[in-house]
Amino acid sequence: MIPELIIALTVGAAMFGTGLYGALSQTNLVMIIMGVELILAAALVNIVAFWRYLHPDEPAAQMFVLIVMAVMAVEMAVGFGIAIARFRTRGSVEMEEARELKG
Amino acid sequence: MTGSFAQVFFLAFFGAAAVWFGVVVFRTHSMVRSAIALLFSQTAVGVMFLLMQAEFLGVLQIMMMATEMSVMAIFMVMFMMDPGGLGAMEMTHQKRLSLWAGGLGLVGALAVILLSDWGPAALAIPAAAEQTAELGRELLGRSMFIFQSAGLTILTAMVAATMVAIAPEKERKS
Repeated sequence: MIPELIIALTVGAAMFGTGLYGALSQTNLVMIIMGVELILAAALVNIVAFWRYLHPDEPAAQMFVLIVMAVMAVEMAVGFGIAIARFRTRGSVEMEEARELKG
Repeated sequence: MTGSFAQVFFLAFFGAAAVWFGVVVFRTHSMVRSAIALLFSQTAVGVMFLLMQAEFLGVLQIMMMATEMSVMAIFMVMFMMDPGGLGAMEMTHQKRLSLWAGGLGLVGALAVILLSDWGPAALAIPAAAEQTAELGRELLGRSMFIFQSAGLTILTAMVAATMVAIAPEKERKS
């Protein structure tokens, strides 16, 4: 049992649960993006904890953290691009009013 | 035990802070407060990285998230009908389903954490400078293709987001 690893992974699990709740329950696009950000932050905590307490000699784990950070940046850029487009055409970023996007 | 009591204590403290501010994001009616709570949550995650001796990633996380959340707060104020939350608008749906999904995700992850055998802890860790040098060698060596792909993906996303966001020409002229 590695207490630091258990603490870090538990924090990651709690952040994942909170982010999942937020992404599913919010009606505003910007708030949904916030939920996804929390889920990705949980992934970051887990990767760094695995690197530190199990494989500190493996730099590929740190590289993977940079990739997840890139995913966060991409998600923000695309999300806000869609938000601006919707706000300009519909005057709102409420996803309850975006049923036409449903496949 | 791989570290000192202080290290375990502060890891738990900043972990609790990260989770608490994450919960505050969805509890407050004020969108600006939500963005600031997310900023605090991500900063606490950055401090956890520093406590886990990932200095470069910790500083990167704090710097990147400070910028990202500031931009998010500006977007919040621009797009929200009630950014200050004074009207106490209801902005949630399918709450019960979301609570169940979040709760099940948490319980499932906790079960995996507590029931797994994680093996022995690694005691020796490279110094901060050596870690950064190794990461640089990794990025410009074995993982160069992945790193370049990530950069190209960000560039493509930026161009695509800008294209989606700018108004069509006929709309701008009218």
